[in-house]
Amino acid sequence: MAQTSGGVRNIKVFRYDPQQGGEGHFDSYVLNIQDETTTTILDVLLRIQREQDPTLSFRFACRVNMCGSCGMVINGKEGLACKTNVSHIPQGKEVTIRPLNHFPVIKDLVVDMEPFFKKYEEALPFYEPREETTEPAVIRPGSRERQDIGMATDCIACGCCVSSCTMCHYHEGYAGPAALNRAFTLLADSRDGLFEERLDRVLASCYNCRTEFNCTEVCPKRISGTRAIKYIQRLALKHIKAKPETIEAEQPAVAQPSCASEMAGSMAGNMAGNMDRRTFISQVGVGLLGTCLALGVGGVVGAAFVGPTRARTPRLWVPAASLSSIPVGDVTTIKINYETKNGLYTQQVAERVLVSRTGDEIICFKASCTHLGCMVKWDGNAGRFRCACHGGAFDRNGKVIAGPPPKPLDRYPFRVDSDHLLVEVG
Amino acid sequence: MVSKVKADLLIIGMGAAAQMAALYAHEINPELDILIVTKALKGKGGCSRMVQGGFNVVLTPRDSHEKHLMDTLKGGQYINDQYLARTLVEQATPTIKEMETKFGCFFDRNPDGTIHQKAFAGQSFDRTVHKADLTGIEIISRLTEQVMKRGFPVLQECRAVELLLDGPGEIVTGALLLDMRRGEFIVAEAAATLVATGGGPTHYRFHAPGPEKSVDGIAMLYRAGVIMKDMEMLQFHPTGLIVPGSVVAGALLEEGLRGAGAHLFNGSGERYMLNYAPEVGERATRDVVSRSSYLEMMAGRACPEGGVQIDASHLGAGFVLKTFPGMAERCRQFNYDLARGRVPVSPTAHFFMGGAVIDTGGRSTLEKLFVAGEDAGGVHGANRLGGNGICDSCVYGRQAGKALGKYLSGGNRSIKETRRGQVEEFMARLEAPLQRSRGANPFELRKAIQELNWNKVGVARKEPELSGALSEIEDIAEAVETAGVTGGAVYNMMYNTYLDIRSMIDATRIVAFSARLREETRGAHFRQDFPEQRDDYGLFNIFLKRSDDGRPVAEKKPVVFKYKSLEECRKYKK
Repeated sequence: MAQTSGGVRNIKVFRYDPQQGGEGHFDSYVLNIQDETTTTILDVLLRIQREQDPTLSFRFACRVNMCGSCGMVINGKEGLACKTNVSHIPQGKEVTIRPLNHFPVIKDLVVDMEPFFKKYEEALPFYEPREETTEPAVIRPGSRERQDIGMATDCIACGCCVSSCTMCHYHEGYAGPAALNRAFTLLADSRDGLFEERLDRVLASCYNCRTEFNCTEVCPKRISGTRAIKYIQRLALKHIKAKPETIEAEQPAVAQPSCASEMAGSMAGNMAGNMDRRTFISQVGVGLLGTCLALGVGGVVGAAFVGPTRARTPRLWVPAASLSSIPVGDVTTIKINYETKNGLYTQQVAERVLVSRTGDEIICFKASCTHLGCMVKWDGNAGRFRCACHGGAFDRNGKVIAGPPPKPLDRYPFRVDSDHLLVEVG
Repeated sequence: MVSKVKADLLIIGMGAAAQMAALYAHEINPELDILIVTKALKGKGGCSRMVQGGFNVVLTPRDSHEKHLMDTLKGGQYINDQYLARTLVEQATPTIKEMETKFGCFFDRNPDGTIHQKAFAGQSFDRTVHKADLTGIEIISRLTEQVMKRGFPVLQECRAVELLLDGPGEIVTGALLLDMRRGEFIVAEAAATLVATGGGPTHYRFHAPGPEKSVDGIAMLYRAGVIMKDMEMLQFHPTGLIVPGSVVAGALLEEGLRGAGAHLFNGSGERYMLNYAPEVGERATRDVVSRSSYLEMMAGRACPEGGVQIDASHLGAGFVLKTFPGMAERCRQFNYDLARGRVPVSPTAHFFMGGAVIDTGGRSTLEKLFVAGEDAGGVHGANRLGGNGICDSCVYGRQAGKALGKYLSGGNRSIKETRRGQVEEFMARLEAPLQRSRGANPFELRKAIQELNWNKVGVARKEPELSGALSEIEDIAEAVETAGVTGGAVYNMMYNTYLDIRSMIDATRIVAFSARLREETRGAHFRQDFPEQRDDYGLFNIFLKRSDDGRPVAEKKPVVFKYKSLEECRKYKK
């Protein structure tokens, strides 16, 4: 908690009157607030309406974080007016309140939520019993499915996640985090009978997610839309694995872990019928990322794919460069090439090693982001490693300093052999 | 120009009772053209969503419907409609099961995977089904999705303002709606109408229901001439959070806290409930705890914040945080630590036990009009048990839905003609404040109504305050007639507040009117001038309706002890 006392605050509120039209504008109000720690933004709006401007419109119902009616953008971040206290905004700073993004404004802070409900409904958000029964299912609270679902069914459909998601703006067909979260909770629910239909309906949408984590950050119920979306993608992989007939469509493997080829194959099987080639390829591409995440997370799928492959691959020392060619005090990118045995075939691998050399210390980093495996580059000006995909950043020692990466950059074991730097791969 | 819509079944409200009714009417008769209208967004309004604790239901052979019925009658201090109460407890069992198996609700489980039931006050068995401590979200989210699935049209942010009647005023033909987004009236006519808006006594300074609610259902029913009962029975929940100056004030800390063993302390640090109810202490029913707290506050033993304090810290911080995460979070937002300290609470207006007279199918005393949930009366008698509220909404929504499905399958699927001129009369009156730029301010009038009720028709009542309230409310009503509203037609919240206070005024009239007529203390109705429960006098229900001159007229009728005699009820010990 910040300060306990109050003071005078400037409040800027977005105004739009449909009878006047136009782009809307901000009106400013000055409010003397006795105790900011017990004053919510909803209190602020009610006071402005009661004391200064009765024409101000906003939406609310329960006032205790249970109905999701009062979602709005408060100082740039989505939140519920009833759950945001004035004291959550830095002391003395102006409070700016505007309507949720991506929705048509009806008046002032009131938006038309119909586009939200439409997307929600399209994701088949409703339970359909797998079998007719009259007795509630016996499911242990510690069961895998209930652990996975957790409190994600507590979504109150406030629309904050959708407003925060830039992809909802760019992809017209994107279902958005709330709808996908509900789909996830049903896909994970063993009682539900619409698994195939729902997965078909929402899977393609999942690939529109760019893992920005905005939805996760703003959710007033602390539900992670990102997790839900990635869960569906992993579920799809698992599902495909469980259904051998879809794997038969597999194409010759690309030089990637075996699961990726399964993904590509099954996507071809499932989706080629209703998708043009470009969409198909782009989705497979993102699918690979999803796969990598699954590996990283080490879920059921990851373990099954990675386990045996690792055991069969012998470790290999690959020469990188002569030590004298690596400048001290800088980070140098070195390409290495080597062959690796991958099941029935031999694979050519090209990788980049980021060699950081300071005084006596050498660190050899893998150039792949620990988030989703995108290529990491050294930014000499900023003195940090950057990933262009989702804004991940690492310091000189590989420690995460920004963005979604879950752990520091991976390192290669290395040795120096008569002026040659060798890194261990495999 | 007023737009018109027609349907076989018009459902007013979109809480649990309304949605259950829609789902079951459709199940019985899939042909029905069902129209739902709600004052809020889809599934977001009303009190069902705000349910925290849970749903009382008998699910194991160790418990019984008999016990649940006796707990309900004992809690209601014997004046319940026993027929309704018995249906409640018996039908609760299939209802909750169907909510899981048909609609996909998933309530908390025991370690063995069966449904968990927790302890609530006033019950002989731990029978409250729940989803952590925010049960309403699960119920309403799942029901709303089922409504979406069936594609029923929903008019959102459309509030019903008056029921429409035929010429003689005996048949309900539909309702006049206000589309709040456009500020335009809509005439909705139907072969049957269900009022399930939920009561929501927000006409008190402290109130638990969301401030968007305004007793519209009860007020509309009363104005339409429906017979209402037990309107003096208005429940105050003992543990409304105190947050000075915030609209959150009065929001609940759920009953499960007391069920789990939380203590209540007065300003002197004394566990006062041990004086008022030595045997059960804080686990006494809501009426008893609220009254005791209020008396402590009036005796000058309030805590610094003005109420009393609830303390759950001795249960262990880990237990509190795990069992009541929603409550802990709610407290934390206002710098209270529920897991480790005391939190100031006050009695808060919570629930109408009274409401429209119905039968077990939700039929009211007017033709083609059905009522379910908090708008209906009789199930709970003089006091409702925690956990019987959402149970009532779901069970009676289901009952009414089934009854409506059958009713509209017969020869009743025709729309009767609304009395000529009625719509125009209503509109002329309702639109008047929009023509006045000056006049009484609805926001201030609402505050005046809330203070009046809190002080004179509140937890403790007496004469001459009740009579005073009845005359004062008429003064306010007169001011409302001259109220003026600023702003345009679209989403005009000041105008909606004007409509809210119209309802609140009618609610005040009938609650205070009934309260005067019961000269004893029973359940939630506490008369300081008649502090004893008098079973030789008070075993009646007050039936009330609006007379032609606009004032309520009432009749007392003895309670019908249909299944359980007074002696059985009295002797029953939990």
